[in-house]
Amino acid sequence: MTTITDFAGYAPTWCPGCGNWGIGIALRTALTQLGMTPSSVLIAFGIGCSGNANDFINAYAMHGLHGRSVPNAIGMKLANHSMPVIVIAGDGDCYGEGGNHFLHACRGNHDITVIVHDNRVYGLTTGQSAPTAQKGYKSKSTPAGIIEESVDPLALAMTQGATFVAQSFAGDNAHTAQMIREGIAHKGFSLVNILQPCVTFNKVNTYQYYMKHVYKLDAAHDKTSLTQAFLKAREVAEEKYPLGVLYQISKPSYHEQIAHLDREKGLVGRDRFMDFSAITSDFI
Amino acid sequence: MTSFLWKIGGEAGFGIMTTGLMFSKIAARNGYHVFDYVEYPSLIRGGHNTYDVHVSSNPVGATKELIDILVCLNKDTYEFHKNRLADHALVIYDADEFTPEGGGVKLAVPFKAILTELAGQQIMKNTIAIGASLAAMGSDLTELSLLLEQQFGRKGQEVVDFNKRFAEKGYDYVKKTYLLEIKPLLTKNDGESKLVLTGSEAFSLGAAIADCRMYVAYPMTPSSGVLTTLAAWQSRTGMVVRHAEDEISVINTALGATFAGVRSAVGSSGGGFALMVEALSYAGIAELPIVVYLAQRPGPATGMPTWTEQGDLLFTVHAGHGEFPKIVLAPGDVTEMVTMTAAAFDLADIYQTPVIVATDMLLAESHGTMPKALLDSFTSGYKPDKGKTVTKADAPYKRYANSPDGISPRLIPGAPGIFYQANSYEHLEDSHTTEDANERIKQADKRRRKIVTYLKNHFKGPVVYGDSARAETVFVSWGSTKGAVEDARRILADKGHDTAHIHFTYLYPLDKKIILPLFDAKKKYVLVENNADGQFGKLLAAETGLTFADSIFRYDGRAVSVEQLVAHVAG
Repeated sequence: MTTITDFAGYAPTWCPGCGNWGIGIALRTALTQLGMTPSSVLIAFGIGCSGNANDFINAYAMHGLHGRSVPNAIGMKLANHSMPVIVIAGDGDCYGEGGNHFLHACRGNHDITVIVHDNRVYGLTTGQSAPTAQKGYKSKSTPAGIIEESVDPLALAMTQGATFVAQSFAGDNAHTAQMIREGIAHKGFSLVNILQPCVTFNKVNTYQYYMKHVYKLDAAHDKTSLTQAFLKAREVAEEKYPLGVLYQISKPSYHEQIAHLDREKGLVGRDRFMDFSAITSDFI
Repeated sequence: MTSFLWKIGGEAGFGIMTTGLMFSKIAARNGYHVFDYVEYPSLIRGGHNTYDVHVSSNPVGATKELIDILVCLNKDTYEFHKNRLADHALVIYDADEFTPEGGGVKLAVPFKAILTELAGQQIMKNTIAIGASLAAMGSDLTELSLLLEQQFGRKGQEVVDFNKRFAEKGYDYVKKTYLLEIKPLLTKNDGESKLVLTGSEAFSLGAAIADCRMYVAYPMTPSSGVLTTLAAWQSRTGMVVRHAEDEISVINTALGATFAGVRSAVGSSGGGFALMVEALSYAGIAELPIVVYLAQRPGPATGMPTWTEQGDLLFTVHAGHGEFPKIVLAPGDVTEMVTMTAAAFDLADIYQTPVIVATDMLLAESHGTMPKALLDSFTSGYKPDKGKTVTKADAPYKRYANSPDGISPRLIPGAPGIFYQANSYEHLEDSHTTEDANERIKQADKRRRKIVTYLKNHFKGPVVYGDSARAETVFVSWGSTKGAVEDARRILADKGHDTAHIHFTYLYPLDKKIILPLFDAKKKYVLVENNADGQFGKLLAAETGLTFADSIFRYDGRAVSVEQLVAHVAG
C-alpha cells in the first residue's frame, strides 16, 4: 500500500510559508488516494519555484524547459496513454512563456492534468510581474505598474476547449487535493488553477487577501453550463475567486480520436511495423 | 549510353508536378535512372513552374543545362528556356497559343483543339503533352496507361478511359505528323527495378523502417514533404504524426514521446529549426534521443523559401546553448537518405543525444532512383539498435550512471519500484538536481566521452570516388552536391580529365585521424559547397587543420551545376 511518504523526495527548498508547501502535500495526498505509486505516474515539471518540485516529488518525470512542460506531457501521453500524465507549472511558465502551448492543448483535449501554481509573480527570478498579475501591479520589471490586463486562465481554458476547469486555494489542502484528484480522474484536458500566495515577493495577493476574496461554488452551480462557468470565471475582474469545479463536460480525448493508435498496447507497446511493401508501392 | 533532359514548363497550379513525376516513373519503369528537379516560386497560383527530368542509362544525380525535349504548356516556357536547347532539341508546343521564334525542332501539337474536341479540363493538357512526349521519344503508352489506372482507378473505369484518351490523342498526333522527327530516346532498357522517390520520401521511408513511432512537425518548405508523407502513411504504419502549434511544441512533444519510450523525430527548415534549438540543448543534457530532419533553404530569415542552399551547416553543428554531444549526418542521394536515416535513429538511441539529418531543397524535393533490390536487402537486414535502452532495472537505479563509454542505461518509464527524471538541470547520477562542482564535472565529462565512443565505434570517414592517387583534381563535397560532382566527373572523364571526389556524409563530429591521410598536399583539391562562406571548409579547418586554395561556392538559390564543375576543370 502506497503512502504519502513514498512520493516524498528531497526536503523542499521553498520559502517558509510559501503556498507550494500546501500544494506539494495536496498533490502527494491526491496521488496516494488514487492508489498510484511513483512508478505509475508521469509528471512534466516546468521551470520556476513550482517546477523545482521535481526533486521533492517522486515520479517518472521530465524536468524540461521553461514554458514547455505541456508539450512534453502531450508527447508522453501519446506514447503511453495508459499512465496518467500531470503537468506541474507556474503561471509565468504556463500562461506566459508557454501560453501558445496551453491554448492548443485545451483545443486538443489531450488527456493531461495541468496543475498551475498561480502566485501572480515570477518567484524564482525574484518577483517580476507574471501574466496573472493584477493591472497596475508594481514589481521590479513594472515599477510604474503593469499596463496589461491579467490573463484569465479559467475563461481562456474553457473557451479554447478544455473539458475540466477547476480552481483551488493553496491554503486549503483538502480541497486542493480533491480538485487534483478529480482533475486526474477526468478523461480529457483538465486545468487545476491553484491560487497561491508568494510570501516573499507578492505583498498584495496574500493569504489574508485570498481568505477575504475566495468562496466555494455551491450545489446550485451547473458545471456543464459553459455560460455559467464563464460568468464565474470572469468574477476575477471583481476580485472574486470561485473555488471548485467551474466547468466539466465529457468529450473524447485527443489520443482516443487517433484511429490507428493501439488501444491496448499503446504506441510504446505495440509491435514494430514491418510491412514495407505497403508503403514502397507508392514509389514504383 | 542514353542520357537526355526532358523539361516541362507552365503556369503554377496546373499540374506540372504530377506530370513531371509521372514522366520520371515512366522512365524508371522503362529501366532508366532518373534525377528530377523542380523550380517553382513561393506561390500557389501564377508564376512559372518547371520540372526537369534527367534520364540516363547510367546513375544520374543532377539535372543538366542542355534541354533535349522541351514541353511548353505556355509561351513563357519557350522564351525562358530556349537558350538552353541542345542541337536538334525537340520542342513540343501548341501553335494555336504561340509561335516559337528561335531554335529547336518544332513539334506543334494542338493541345487546345484536343481539349475542346474531348471536352477536357485545362489540366488534361498535361496528359496530352506526356502522350506527345512519349511518341516523340519512340516510346509507347504502356506505362502511362498503367499509371493513369493507378491514379484514377478509384474513380472508375470510365474516368480512367477518359484520361487515357487525352494521352492517346497526343501520342497519335505526333506519331502521324512527325514520323521523321521522332528520336528513339526512351526505348525499353534492361535496367533493374527501381523506386522513384524524393529525399523527403526517402527520409520518411527510413524512419518507418527504423521503427520511428512519432513524427511531429510544423509545415515549412522544403521540409513539409516528410510531414505529409508520414501523415498519409500513418494508418498503414501506426505512426503518430502530429502537426503541432509551433516548432517549439514540435520538439518538446517529440521529446515527451522519446522519454515515454518511443523513437521520435521532428522536421523543419532553418527558421523552424532555430525555434527548436533550446530543446535540442535539453535533449543534450537530459540525454534524450531525438532525430531532426533539417531541409535547408536559402536564408537568412524567410530568405528564398522554394530554392536550395547548404547555408545552415555551421548553425546546425553549433545549435544549442551549452556543450553537449550532437551528431550531424548529410546523405548525398535518396539511397543514402534511406539508410542513413535508419542509422540516425540507431545513433540517437545508442548515444542518447540529438542526431540531425541535414539536407536541402535540392535533395528533399528532387526525385532520384533507388534500386529496389538494394532497398529489399536493406530492410531485411535492418534491426533497430537501441543501444543501452532497457525496460528493467534494479533499484536504486541511476539514470546518469557514470560509465567508461559515457553512456548510461536508459530505462523506459513504467518499470515498477523505480522512478527518475529526465532533468534539464545539471544532475547527480541518480538524476536529482545538483550544483556541486565535482558532480558537474563528472556529468560533463561523461557526456563528452560519448563523442570519443562515437568516433571510435560509429563515425564514418568520407567516401572516395575515383582514383585519388591518379587524379589531377579532387573535388571535396558534402551532402546533396554529390550528384552534380559525380555527373561532372563522368563528363570530365570523357573529355580526358582524371578526377576524384571525397564526399562527406558523417559531418560532425569529425575524426582527423581518418580524414587527414586522404589528403595529399601535392594535389589540387576543389571544395564544392552550395553556400557563400564555405562552411564545411571552415568546419574541416577547425577540426582537422585542412584548408583549400580552390573552391566552387554557389549561393544564388540554385544547385551547384554539373556545367560549372566541368568548366572549372576543363575551362
